[in-house]
Amino acid sequence: MPSADTIAAIATSPGRGGVGVVRVSGGGVEALMFGILGKALEPRTATLCRFFDEAGGAIDFGIALYFRSPHSYTGEDVLELQGHGGRVVLNMLLERCVALGARLAEPGEFTRRAFLNDKIDLAQAESVADLIDAATQRAARSAVSSLQGEFSKRIHGLVSALVNLRMLVEATLDFPEEDLDYLEANDAAGQLEEIRAHLKSVMDAARQGNMLRAGVHVVLAGRPNVGKSSLLNRLAGDEVAIVTEIPGTTRDVIRQSIEVEGVPMHIIDTAGLRESDDPVEKIGIERTRQAIGKSDLILYLADSVTGLGDEDGKILADLPDLPKVIVYNKIDLTGALPGIAEDEAVYLSAKTGEGVDLLKRKLLERVSWQPLGEDQFMARQRHVSALADAEACLARAQADVQPEIFAEDLRLAQAALSNITGEFSSEDLLGEIFSRFCIGK
Amino acid sequence: MYPIKFDVIVVGGGHAGTEAALAAARMGRKTLLLTHNIETLGQMSCNPAIGGVGKGHLVKEVDALGGAMAQATDESGIQFRILNSSKGFAVRATRAQADRMLYRQAIRGRIESQANLWLFQQAVDDLIIRGDKVLGVVTQLGISFFGEAVVLTVGTFLSGLVHVGLMHYQAGRAGDPPSLSLAARLREMQLPVGRLKTGTPPRIHGDSIDYSILTMQPGDDPVPVFSFMGGIEQHPPQVPCWITHTNEKTHEIIRGGLDRSPMFTGVIEGVGPRYCPSIEDKVTRFSEKTSHQIFLEPEGLSTREVYPNGISTSLPFDIQLKLIHSMRGLEHAHITRPGYAIEYDYFDPQNLKSSLETKTIENLYFAGQINGTTGYEEAAAQGLLAGINASLRSQGKDAWSPGREQAYLGVMVDDLVTRGVSEPYRMFTSRAEYRLMLREDNADLRLTEQGYKLGVVDAARWARFCQKRDAIARESERLKSTWVNPRLLTAGAAEKVLGRQIEREYSLYELLRRPDVNYESLMMLDSSGAEASDPEVAKQVEIQAKYRGYIERQEDEITRLQQYEALRLPEDLDYATVKGLSAEAQQILNRHKPETVGQAARLSGITPAAISLLLVHQKRGFSGESVKISA
Repeated sequence: MPSADTIAAIATSPGRGGVGVVRVSGGGVEALMFGILGKALEPRTATLCRFFDEAGGAIDFGIALYFRSPHSYTGEDVLELQGHGGRVVLNMLLERCVALGARLAEPGEFTRRAFLNDKIDLAQAESVADLIDAATQRAARSAVSSLQGEFSKRIHGLVSALVNLRMLVEATLDFPEEDLDYLEANDAAGQLEEIRAHLKSVMDAARQGNMLRAGVHVVLAGRPNVGKSSLLNRLAGDEVAIVTEIPGTTRDVIRQSIEVEGVPMHIIDTAGLRESDDPVEKIGIERTRQAIGKSDLILYLADSVTGLGDEDGKILADLPDLPKVIVYNKIDLTGALPGIAEDEAVYLSAKTGEGVDLLKRKLLERVSWQPLGEDQFMARQRHVSALADAEACLARAQADVQPEIFAEDLRLAQAALSNITGEFSSEDLLGEIFSRFCIGK
Repeated sequence: MYPIKFDVIVVGGGHAGTEAALAAARMGRKTLLLTHNIETLGQMSCNPAIGGVGKGHLVKEVDALGGAMAQATDESGIQFRILNSSKGFAVRATRAQADRMLYRQAIRGRIESQANLWLFQQAVDDLIIRGDKVLGVVTQLGISFFGEAVVLTVGTFLSGLVHVGLMHYQAGRAGDPPSLSLAARLREMQLPVGRLKTGTPPRIHGDSIDYSILTMQPGDDPVPVFSFMGGIEQHPPQVPCWITHTNEKTHEIIRGGLDRSPMFTGVIEGVGPRYCPSIEDKVTRFSEKTSHQIFLEPEGLSTREVYPNGISTSLPFDIQLKLIHSMRGLEHAHITRPGYAIEYDYFDPQNLKSSLETKTIENLYFAGQINGTTGYEEAAAQGLLAGINASLRSQGKDAWSPGREQAYLGVMVDDLVTRGVSEPYRMFTSRAEYRLMLREDNADLRLTEQGYKLGVVDAARWARFCQKRDAIARESERLKSTWVNPRLLTAGAAEKVLGRQIEREYSLYELLRRPDVNYESLMMLDSSGAEASDPEVAKQVEIQAKYRGYIERQEDEITRLQQYEALRLPEDLDYATVKGLSAEAQQILNRHKPETVGQAARLSGITPAAISLLLVHQKRGFSGESVKISA
């Protein structure tokens, strides 16, 4: 796209050695290529080059790749300079690109351009963003699968089954004089049931995917000194804990993010929930309360020596009505065996680690996590709610008696799915009808 | 040069032309209707029927805007039916067989008695154009007529080419001459032009049909009425249709003639409609079907000719004769006119504004088959709209066209101008997103007030409409404010009307929304009070109550989308200056010059990404400055 301005960025993550890549995209790439390489490259051919500075000296020495529009990631002319990974050298290369007319790319701008130039669809564009912020390895794998269109493929399968059913209904409504009952003859009710089952499986996978992306928010509560910190460390334990803080307004609420079986769990500490007159602290308390209200699960830690006392009752009563996992810590002191009691309470020792695996399993069970293996795909909340909307329409459709209302609910279901896949016109629908049925007096 | 200067000149006396001329004249504009033959005003050149699903909806809308089609059908209809009568109100549709002659009379009578309307018989050969503006027309004899706006409704007559077997000749519809010079003139104007095809079946002499072994299809009882102003007493005597079928032998005969079919040998280039295929098309494309239903429709009360609906064909005549004789009841049938296919020019409607004015030539409007549509109803509705807009133009007023949520007419025009046609365009209810709102029964509530403001609805219709509208509002209000108390409701009455006793107080309106309750049964409750005297009012109140939840949801959807419809795009915007738009999107938008962002979104090939760029551009006031893409 010659009209688009030219953007440049360091494409590899900071601080790593080996190879460092500067990527440039836009209408000015060809001119920039002359400036920095002193020659034009064959498109799509890796060429060993010197990267020159303004004075004609070499900044670095490496592989350059040129992709001509529209056959590139962004759909624009793209140049990739693969030099040596050093920070200073990469910055010099980037500055050189800027001097030659490029501007620094904003976060996600390459992907955005790829989307705007129809190189990838919305679901794919979003999964690239997910890949970049994927919190855990499993999430990263899942994002790759979505990018390859696994999610899109599943949704498209769903949509085409729905289109097939809509076609039958629409043919029944628009062509009453044909001597055919399309709905009866093609078992519309059975088809609808199948679609709902299919939708449910996609929804489950999407929910899981969303969980992988966004993580689960867990409130950790209990009296002081019941061992909350040790439990947290224990949970974070062997797998590499991600101790980076969550950015944004929740910073002062969430203490830590850990990973349980690949699922990111953001632990909200209730330590801050004490009476206070300090106005700043009050704001913090209010925020914590809001965060607690929006979380998925409460992990309540009690002392197995003393059991649940009045004080515990008070704290619990103060917490919102969310799914709870009660944990009795310190079984190393009481000599009890690790395990899950009949009331689903978990007995463990944060100190020795006994019973911690049981807790992990319990946590995953309570947030309905099912390991789905390679089938998983990264979904966003937007996808999950679009699927839920579609399901609500289909549930209504199942109860509909009048065919035009049935048709309307199916249309709405498809409109909900269109939020994920893009538009579908009535002309497409008519095309399906005419290719399937002999219509016309 | 003709001594009178007109406000609106309409060329063509078919269904589009007559509605256009009548509408313009009703609006008080000095209107000229030019036709090459006054005898064929309002001619039904294909099958003798008006209405059907989608089409009936259009007829009711034309009627709600004061048009002639529904009333003319009430005066000429010889068999009336409500299609989809077992389904909900939104898809119920009126269809009538019409007596061709009576229909023509009804239309001609209206044309001749309409004030402000001049009728003149002359073929039009040329348009008078100065710059990019049309000033008038020139007829075959060289007479020049000048007018503020010109509506062209020349349909099938544009470079018509009739095919029977491998023989073909130049012609218009049903024995009329084609408009060759006008077609040539329009082609010279570089308007985007395409070619379509349609066909008709052979006609049969009714006395040679053995009805005693055929299935009769009577009209409905009570007989439906088309116009909101109509009555059963206007109907001529009613007659039935008959049904026969093709069979294996018929299909064998057809397959045997395919080597002489103009369609299958590639002689015909135009694209035919998929929903109205020729019989040879049906037999080849759906070879697993061993029989097709054929409706034998009477052409009128004063003729014995019969129209066998379902066997449109351009096979050679000897094959036509054999295939007719192979069917039950038609063993000895006499063909009065051979079937044929006709190819004709149409102009790409993507070159039209939603007012039906051409984008290339100012004050020139196109309506009907010339725009790639098929059907009398589609033509009439466009004619009416073009007539209205030509009149508005001649008064220097802004154009009007209904939205997709307001009328099937709106759906059709929007489809035509944004997506063009790839086959003759016919109305279907599945084309409408808001089908539950666009019903036959509420066409008047949707459009008559607008029609009155425009001046196409007369005082009598307006008065009757107001009365009905107010009665509906009053009755709905009464039902909403009348409460049924469970303690005052006997178990027997509750059981009978509602299925079971109610657990709390409900308004009558809430009860009416229940699936098993209807207005009539509801009125049997003691607490229901006096029911509406007009059954139309009662029906409307009930339909509105039944669909309410869905309609509210659709209204929400409409409100969400409306913002895009309100965002106008400047006519002179060069889309190459909108940064970030793909070359393809730039090309499509520059070719179309959509009027609004909503229209742009419906163009094929325009992605949501392109629309978001347009929105960004639009927010910047189309200054042409570069659009920064922010992350």
